Amino acid sequence: MSSVVGMYITQGIHGLVYGMLLFLVSSGLTLIFGMMGILNLAHASFFMLAAYFCYAVLQVTGSFWTALIIAPVFAAFFGVLAERFLLRKVHASGHIAELLLTLGMSLVILEAVKVFWGTESLIITVPESLTGLVNLGLDINYPIYRLFIIVIACVTLIFMALILFKTRLGKIVRASVTNPQMVSALGINTPVVFMLVFGIGTWLAGIAGVCAAPLLTVFPGMADQMGMDCFVVVVTGGLGSLLGAFIAALGIGELNAFGVQFVPRLVPVITFGFMVIVLAIKPTGFFGEREA
Amino acid sequence: MSGKLKLTIYWLIGLIIVIILPHVIGIVYTNVLVTFMMDAVFALSINLLLGFTGLLSFGHAMFFGIGAYAAALSLTHIQGFPLIGVIFISAISALLLACIVAPLLARVTGTAFAMLTLAFGQLLYVICLKFREITGGEDGIAGYDTPPIHLGFTNVDITDPTNFYYFAFVVLGLLAFFMWWLVKTPFGSVMISIRDNAQRVEYLGYRVKHSKALVLIISGTVTGIVGGVYALFHNLVSTDGVLTIFVSFYPLMGAYIGGIASFFGPIFGAGLLHVFDELTSRYTERVDLVNGLIFILVVMYAPYGAVGLWWSIKAWLFKSKLQKA
Repeated sequence: MSSVVGMYITQGIHGLVYGMLLFLVSSGLTLIFGMMGILNLAHASFFMLAAYFCYAVLQVTGSFWTALIIAPVFAAFFGVLAERFLLRKVHASGHIAELLLTLGMSLVILEAVKVFWGTESLIITVPESLTGLVNLGLDINYPIYRLFIIVIACVTLIFMALILFKTRLGKIVRASVTNPQMVSALGINTPVVFMLVFGIGTWLAGIAGVCAAPLLTVFPGMADQMGMDCFVVVVTGGLGSLLGAFIAALGIGELNAFGVQFVPRLVPVITFGFMVIVLAIKPTGFFGEREA
Repeated sequence: MSGKLKLTIYWLIGLIIVIILPHVIGIVYTNVLVTFMMDAVFALSINLLLGFTGLLSFGHAMFFGIGAYAAALSLTHIQGFPLIGVIFISAISALLLACIVAPLLARVTGTAFAMLTLAFGQLLYVICLKFREITGGEDGIAGYDTPPIHLGFTNVDITDPTNFYYFAFVVLGLLAFFMWWLVKTPFGSVMISIRDNAQRVEYLGYRVKHSKALVLIISGTVTGIVGGVYALFHNLVSTDGVLTIFVSFYPLMGAYIGGIASFFGPIFGAGLLHVFDELTSRYTERVDLVNGLIFILVVMYAPYGAVGLWWSIKAWLFKSKLQKA
């Protein structure tokens, strides 16, 4: 009896961990979509890029904490460069060109990573202070590192929420999500805001990448599942809606965790099936106001 | 000489070149030509959606893959399965798949269309990967017999590269001709008007969703047949070979690099990609890195691809000549 309950709780927390990581990545994606109307196919590539930067920083300094701070900033730097020098130039050519450009970016990042770090899995060890298990009662021993991920994600998200809902910048960003043209007409330099949001979005993905690096190990395909799940989250949650992304991310996280437990073969099918059903009923997603 | 006679002579010369080419360039390049033809028709069928109807499909690998798997499975499990049956069954399987996904896909456009096709493609990929007792998973299906062509009096063995080249040329040429004919029909005009302004087409009394579904079904079926030819050519069908995202991306890149604004652009683009591959693989292992960079450059600076570039060069030359005169 107790072991069954324990399994449910363990899988529930597993789902929560994955859901939080997913939300870290997809919150940036959904903000970018809301503002610029681009579904950035290269978003998960920045997640992967940050994990590789984390590996590189670890090799130089040997400190995971330094990596946690530096690697996402580097990823964000590349994100800003990509926005400024690539995406902005094709903005006038329409959505299809932008989608194809981000597709090309993801391809180039993937191949560049292979050139610099090779195709093998690189192992990142969990820092000393976060190894080991913690007893949650009911005979459940849970890895501290996974709980740490939840904490990091929560801290980051509270920080983001404060910026988004309590500052002038947040007000501008939220207004731009609703109607970028109007914000621009009011005299706000929207291209700079776009660039900033793109940077913050990739920074969030970068934090998720560093957090996930010890769990998944670092390899060129690590963005694949995260990327696909992320798109499912953003599309089902409603494009541009943070609340929708939050609910969808946790939902997908739990679906994944319990799917692995009960129907391991069908996990990806469940995720996509979920998306197809949501879109068939409500093409705008849970909280989306417009179609993609 | 009248224009029509001139055109006929050009076509005849082209046909003769196509026929004698495999005897001139040798087996290796004959096989390269066959892959080029498959890529070209794949790119054409993607461009039917992208260039002519304005729908970006990221999941065309699903049609390609289901065609290839249908061919491989029927050749493995049915004794003495005829070649024409292979083509037929790949077409039918892709058609059925397209009919299943079309009602949902026809409702959406733009980003949602791209993401949904991607999702369906990935869905089929993971299903094929997981149900390995049928599909062989990552190892795939291999070692089935390739049936000969029955010509009544004789059987032509298509395991011979030159014969396969002729076979592929006939099948893929017919598909390309079919698509070329399609865009010239009134239905082709409807497709183009949907791309330009779907709402107005709706007001004119055409059924936009039905037309989009039909284009998707036609494009999917053509891709399925290409998949069947792929299965015959490689004698190996695996998830990595026919169903990954890159199977959809590669022809898409070809179509875009060639130019989506013209019908023949994708053929040109597929050829260019093959040339790039051939050149870059001599210097580096990371062929896709070069392809990706070229692709980014094309998207940024030449949105109408190589054909668009050619047009602007021609216009520029023409203008300068006028100024001189």
